[in-house]
Amino acid sequence: MAGKSSAAAATYSPSLTGQRKKRPPIQTDSEWVRPDGRGLHQCRPAFLKTGAVNSASGSAYAEFGNTKVIVSVFGPRESKKAMMYSNAGRLNCNVSYTTFASPVRGQTPEAKDLSSMLHKALEGAIILKSFPKTTVDVFALVLESGGGDLPVITSCASLALADAGIMLYDMVASVSVSCIGKNLLIDPVSEEESYQDGSLMITCMPSRNEVTQMTVTGEWSTTKINEGMQLCLDACSKLGKIMRSCLKEAASGPQD
Amino acid sequence: MRGLQLSLNKGQKLRLERAIEQLESLSSKANSDASVIVADDISVNYEDAILKGHGTAEMDGRVVATLCGVVERVNKLVYVRPLRARYKPEIGDIIIGRVIEVAPKRWRLEINFSQDAVLMLSSMNLPDGIQRRRTAVDELNMRSIFEENDVICAEVRGFQHDGCLHLQARSQKYGKLKSGQLLTIPPYLVKRRKQHFHYLDQYGIDLILGCNGFIWVGEHVEVRDDMVEDLSDKSEQQNVKSWNTVGDEEVEETYTPPDTRQNICRTANAIRVLSTLGVMVAVEVITEIVDLSTSMNLDVHEMLGAEFYVIVAEKEAERRSLSTKRR
Repeated sequence: MAGKSSAAAATYSPSLTGQRKKRPPIQTDSEWVRPDGRGLHQCRPAFLKTGAVNSASGSAYAEFGNTKVIVSVFGPRESKKAMMYSNAGRLNCNVSYTTFASPVRGQTPEAKDLSSMLHKALEGAIILKSFPKTTVDVFALVLESGGGDLPVITSCASLALADAGIMLYDMVASVSVSCIGKNLLIDPVSEEESYQDGSLMITCMPSRNEVTQMTVTGEWSTTKINEGMQLCLDACSKLGKIMRSCLKEAASGPQD
Repeated sequence: MRGLQLSLNKGQKLRLERAIEQLESLSSKANSDASVIVADDISVNYEDAILKGHGTAEMDGRVVATLCGVVERVNKLVYVRPLRARYKPEIGDIIIGRVIEVAPKRWRLEINFSQDAVLMLSSMNLPDGIQRRRTAVDELNMRSIFEENDVICAEVRGFQHDGCLHLQARSQKYGKLKSGQLLTIPPYLVKRRKQHFHYLDQYGIDLILGCNGFIWVGEHVEVRDDMVEDLSDKSEQQNVKSWNTVGDEEVEETYTPPDTRQNICRTANAIRVLSTLGVMVAVEVITEIVDLSTSMNLDVHEMLGAEFYVIVAEKEAERRSLSTKRR
């Protein structure tokens, strides 16, 4: 028995007890200071690049602070699942986390939930009638999860879809807002997400002024929701502009 | 220039940039302002009755793009041509595909298109060359003609009602391809020409440029015309054919000499370099590049290195400036 336990100790596994930090109680009236020194209504600087994956029809890489996501799009192509004839195309989304994405190995948010949420966010923007009987596969891989994962995944996925040449009604931009006490923080980091009282995420198509997905969790008063939505929509239109300039660069760059 | 993963040193980078600048200055400037991204407005004179073509949509009375690409106008038609277009099949195209499934009375081929193409058993010549009705025995012996993962050259016969492609391989020049390499390049780099089958006799290799972006470089195979053979030595032909169909082990493996293999690899590398540069792939350009590499005494593997890449870019810029001067 003793031999066995020593063999078990030879393989190190981080103790989970140390992770449960006691949350210092924050007074509801205090101002929240952001760990990376941003203003409350300031988003993280974004780095976007298309053409990251050669073998895919289209791909994009996005870095928002510490959140790094790479999305590859395959299609339209035949899939074994879609045996029935359908007038409209199908969209298949898959989000997965690398094992080194979060600070503690293996402790990541539910990727299956994110896959279905990504599907709902994108299916409103893709013109499915343009590729009947075939499937478009979107694979998102989160390389590092630094907070605010799903908005980054959605924005990166819409860049990859545009790069693949799939018909879209408009680009899809997504921003989330966190509520801590009386503060509204835009684009939260993972530390802020762990302290939050509520979160609001909006995915919209900026040029069309249409929202494809809105996710609200936690406690929100009416005025706070209005304020939060306004913040999100403003930030989405700015992010939309950044995405378009990234696509323009990619389009005008390699021209032989 | 996706897929460029070469590490160029400073001098090579400068030369490459200069060559690309020269190429860009030579390309026609007519459409350079017309590139659009999704949901960009397309400038249109609203009084004219214009036809909204592929890649456009209407929103609040404005014409808006749904694709990233270049706006093309042909008379009253306005459409958006995507940057990296998928293969658009047309009837009569020569394509190359790989068998992925043997299904009842047909083979399914993968051809770099959104759906798989279908080659019916009735669109294929039987091994003994006789024209007859396909029986159940023929259906059971389909695997002896083509199996999974075979590379086949065929012609587009038409479209099915749901957009699936139908192929035919009725002539001797179509059929299974052996002893060679299959390359994948973006389909828009292959222009539709009169001839897609090329025989480079100074190297002894066959080159087939499929319109779907699959290119076959292989050992030369003598294409026998069935009509001519039938009149003369018919008995000899029958003997040879019966010997071939007895079994795979009995067929003599024709040995490909190493020189031919080198030439095949050289040509394949030349096509790879051209496709990464984004140059239209045509026989003349390919033979020029292969000659260039032999004249420089480069080893086959050095053709994929940074130095040759830059040289090919410069050569292409030179060639285009010469052709524009001639005009």
